[in-house]
Amino acid sequence: MLAEPRRSQAFVVAWAASIFAVSALADPRALSVATLAALLLFRRGALREARRVLVGVAPFALGLSVASWGWLALRGEAPPVSPFAALTLRTVLIAFVTFSVLRRVEILRALAPFPTLSRLLVLSLAQVHALRLLATESALGLRSRLPRRPRTRDVLRSSGAITVALLTLSARNARDVGDAMRSRGFH
Amino acid sequence: MHVPDGFLSPQITVPAWIAAAPLWTWAARRNFGASSTESLPVVGSLTALAFVVQGIMIPVPGGTSAHLTGMAILAILYNPGVAFVCESLVLLLQALFSGAGGFTVLGVNALAMGLLGPGAAWLAWRALRGLSGRVAAFAAAYAGMQVATGAVALVLGLQHRLSPAYMPVPLEVTAVATMVPSLTVLGVVEGLYTVATLALLRRARLLDAR
Repeated sequence: MLAEPRRSQAFVVAWAASIFAVSALADPRALSVATLAALLLFRRGALREARRVLVGVAPFALGLSVASWGWLALRGEAPPVSPFAALTLRTVLIAFVTFSVLRRVEILRALAPFPTLSRLLVLSLAQVHALRLLATESALGLRSRLPRRPRTRDVLRSSGAITVALLTLSARNARDVGDAMRSRGFH
Repeated sequence: MHVPDGFLSPQITVPAWIAAAPLWTWAARRNFGASSTESLPVVGSLTALAFVVQGIMIPVPGGTSAHLTGMAILAILYNPGVAFVCESLVLLLQALFSGAGGFTVLGVNALAMGLLGPGAAWLAWRALRGLSGRVAAFAAAYAGMQVATGAVALVLGLQHRLSPAYMPVPLEVTAVATMVPSLTVLGVVEGLYTVATLALLRRARLLDAR
């Protein structure tokens, strides 16, 4: 058993190789076998990851395939369904493997050999979290100022002021994160 | 205009990674070294904002999606290299945490949406900024959107040409499905978003920190 961060790094390398290999498969039978293998390999927590894929990725991939098939069918080409099924299955399988591997690795430890990437990733993640938090707070603030549920027009009218506040606070937060990382010898 | 994982084979994704990797290294070293401390807060904020606006995606036939990018503003304020690194970060975060786009297609998406699009936006901005700042910003964002969308459509068309069994949708369908919304709606909205965000950044006095 490898120790951290080697374990996470080995996992990330194996994951990258496996998803490139899956992306080369075009035969639905081969993809079905690969899906079964992935479900067996990642059986611990498979339901949770499968649910995440079914909610977050599958509708989009399926929507793309159905819309593309529908467009071609409308042109009178009556395309076979199997390439579209393979397309969707490939996308879903890659997402399942990605989520399952990410659940098992410490991504920032795995990226330790790339300090600039780690630094930018930490900064961006911190900003995304900060923006989400601020957006929620702003929405709650808007709701509390109105006697009724805010409509689209209310949101649009206040979006300028909210965005200014978001950007100002986000920039301040980014400066704090940058200072904290610098003080810990990150860069 | 993300291409999701599984829509492009390694015949395309591996060369794209090979092309993008040295550009990432060069752009990150050039723009995010020790001297970038002052600009990092604004860059971080705009990257996060781009992550948010790119999260609203509408699937379009042919293997991609329609959404804003928010990258023209980084190309205008800084340079296409900054936009390339920031867009690649946004794409990496989306691929790892929300399953949008993907890791195998990261090189293709980054080159199209992070380099070609912002590069076109930067060139349009340089050519037009003498006329009017707002017009130049709008035109830059519009041009960037069209170039990025066109590049994605071409790559998907190339995949169909290489292997119709792998990617069954031809270029004629992909090009129409991606370029029509881009030319009529998305380009305009991206232009308005860029002009409005620039005005808001000035109002918040964040550009002083650059």
